[in-house]
Amino acid sequence: MFLTTQLAKGVSLHIRQTTQFKTVNFSVKWRRPLTTKDAAERTVLSNVLQHSNEKFKTSAAFRSYLDDLFGTVLYFDTTKRGNEHTLLLNVETVNDQYLANSNVLQEVLDLIHTVIFSPNLENGAFVSSIVEREKEMVLERIHSIFDDKARYAQYRLMQILRPNHPASISANGTIETVKAVTPQSLKAAYDSMLQNDTVDIYVVGDIDIEEMTEKLRQVLAFGDRELHEKQPNIEIDTKPEEYTKEQQEMKQGKLHIGFSTPVYFGHPDFPKMQIFNGIFGGYAHSKLFMNVRERESLAYYASSSYSSQYGLVFVTSGIEPSNEKKAIDVINEQLKVMQNGEISDLELTQTKAMLTNQLKEALDSARGQIEIYDQYKDLNEAFTIDTWASRWQQVTKEDVQQMAKQVKQEAIYFLCGKED
Amino acid sequence: MKTIEFKQLDETLYYKKLENGLDVYILPKKGFSKTFVTFTTKYGSIDRTFVPLGEKEAITVPDGIAHFLEHKMFEKEEGDVFQKFSELGAQANAFTSFTRTAYLFSATDHLYKNTETLLDFVQEPYFTEETVEKEKGIIGQEITMYDDLPDWRLYFGTIENMYHQHPVKIDIAGTIESIDKITADHLYTCYNTFYHPSNMLLFVVGAVDPNEMMAVIEANQGKKEFPEPTPIEHILEDEPQGVAIKEREMSMDVQKPKVYIGLKAKQVGLSGEEMLKHELAVAIALECLFGRASTLYTHLYEGGLIDESYAFDFSLEKGYGFALIGSDTNKPDELVSAIKGRLKEAQDGSIFKEEDVERIKRKRIGSFLRALNSLEFIANQFTRYKFNDMNLFDAVPTVEKLTVEDVREAFKSLQGEEQQTVFKIVPVSERKK
Repeated sequence: MFLTTQLAKGVSLHIRQTTQFKTVNFSVKWRRPLTTKDAAERTVLSNVLQHSNEKFKTSAAFRSYLDDLFGTVLYFDTTKRGNEHTLLLNVETVNDQYLANSNVLQEVLDLIHTVIFSPNLENGAFVSSIVEREKEMVLERIHSIFDDKARYAQYRLMQILRPNHPASISANGTIETVKAVTPQSLKAAYDSMLQNDTVDIYVVGDIDIEEMTEKLRQVLAFGDRELHEKQPNIEIDTKPEEYTKEQQEMKQGKLHIGFSTPVYFGHPDFPKMQIFNGIFGGYAHSKLFMNVRERESLAYYASSSYSSQYGLVFVTSGIEPSNEKKAIDVINEQLKVMQNGEISDLELTQTKAMLTNQLKEALDSARGQIEIYDQYKDLNEAFTIDTWASRWQQVTKEDVQQMAKQVKQEAIYFLCGKED
Repeated sequence: MKTIEFKQLDETLYYKKLENGLDVYILPKKGFSKTFVTFTTKYGSIDRTFVPLGEKEAITVPDGIAHFLEHKMFEKEEGDVFQKFSELGAQANAFTSFTRTAYLFSATDHLYKNTETLLDFVQEPYFTEETVEKEKGIIGQEITMYDDLPDWRLYFGTIENMYHQHPVKIDIAGTIESIDKITADHLYTCYNTFYHPSNMLLFVVGAVDPNEMMAVIEANQGKKEFPEPTPIEHILEDEPQGVAIKEREMSMDVQKPKVYIGLKAKQVGLSGEEMLKHELAVAIALECLFGRASTLYTHLYEGGLIDESYAFDFSLEKGYGFALIGSDTNKPDELVSAIKGRLKEAQDGSIFKEEDVERIKRKRIGSFLRALNSLEFIANQFTRYKFNDMNLFDAVPTVEKLTVEDVREAFKSLQGEEQQTVFKIVPVSERKK
């Protein structure tokens, strides 16, 4: 799918020529092991780099220039995967062929160089007034999770399930670590990122591969760097609280249940676990949807998700608080019937069809192509849809039952209104 | 079948009006493996008072019924329609807005069979008192979920402030009390009135052969009987021009106050090319005044009056329209006065400069071309445009022709203090102080 070239040690370029899209997409990803301190530094850094640079010293000047480049989208962001933290730069620009007399692509390449290598500095550090404002922005982002009750409930469940573990460390860092960022510490984090992080560069669009590779060698002239070993999964030694109920001013009860599974991304049973999750609560034909919602009318949403990086399965549902016990019973009953092997041929067929379709559909966007390839390349095998479709195809009822038996409930978190 | 070419965009659209009145559009996209299909009726939450098909007297139905009907379309005597789509690996869904109800699926396989499933389930209603009762618990939880979403409450609170009579101020899903009154008979009345093929549009976009697809659709529709199409009579009370409520607040369990300024549009009777030109010009005016490259934005950002939630938007449909500008903020009153100050400066139109307008035009053209990578955008927006007699693919040439004078003229629709309203959500603890 992508053609990969090593630009330097630890620096890979993945490039894909296609006429499918009217735009050209770029993504640069810098990766290192995940810690709260680094996550905070790098999140503030991503905001600061997005604000301005040496060439465009104010945000207004920078934004005006992007508008002029036919609304080229350019943003920095941070994410995490497993034990790794990623700072990324995403850029999307209209392909020149749809614009009369323009050479936007070359200007965008120059701009990518500028935003990465020519930051807006004063006295050898980032501009302190900008750093302070952007720290505030990141702090507000962290605080805002409280306003979205479903997100807050999930955040609390993660803290209960896996405290001080990559699974519960936010890619934004914490309030304390963000507050501790200074213009100098940010400059150190920036230098270290450019020198030490593993770098993956992606390009998707109707471009000439050789020409683009040559240009990127100049625009993104990163030096060699030591490869950091893939971090092993951290052993979990604490036992989480089995049941936690908290109250706020709200109407709906948010029921979040956490389960563990020994099957992680890359494990030989991973495709079986994906099928398990699809039948349990991944789709509108799933047991949770059909029973919690359709049979019992307890909820508008009731679904499960499989976090394969951390070996966790979550069930989430919004319910009338007085129905809490009933909802928990119906959810547990669904896992139980799967453990007993009550899985129909139809459920298997549907789930296999949906997983295959979902993967194919995800590849219909440039971002989807980049993100899926980026994740699956860790498996060190050639990625094809057919490989995965055939792996799912081979999964049997007994396999799914086996997966269900390994799924263990660890914690229930219930967030609801205060009783009058 | 007609063929419409958009050379600049490198797209070809296929169109046919079927004998039963259904508008069918097909847009093949090279390189895609999925196809996205929407089947939409021009019927939304605002259509609450109307003359039912075959009757003389107008009735008003319970609030939330269009959305309730959307939910109930998925349940058939033999079970849930999602089951059928899942079996063929299609992702199905539906949504109800103020003016539309859309049923849709996307799939990478079994395109024709999935399309027939879509057409059939939307054209074969099955409502019983039992299934209607059962749905009340589910939708009740959907309503409660939205009740707890501060951004949704902020959005609706602002619209409620603006309108005296217009049903746009009523929540799309209704209330627990209003949906409790809904019966199977109500659903059939609404269904029969608004789901006639002549009031609907089918849009197919993606990996599709237009000739084969059209044949499948025509064969499916040819097998079904429909009554003669009749015009639908809607009844709307007169809406005064100014806002209903100048300022209001509610408290919720949030960390930080949220505020929206709403600007109620005066120009809401347009359609077709005029409407397209007008709405694009208003959007450019708002970007000039409130965009991230504006002097106001810099002032708000540097003064700590806004955060990353800052946003502004413009909505326009036949009979209503509004702009919203706002943010989460610890200084809601200062933010309101800064925005109102900016609106005052814009009063005589001289604030709109040619270079800003030209820059924003470039941005809009780029954003539009980027959006054409999304099959969902194309299908949903094309339908919305068509229901207002506009053509989505005219957007680029229309933007290209806009002048600073057009922008000044269009912005007048939002001008005047009597068009302005403020809605705030304040943290529970602050309210008690």
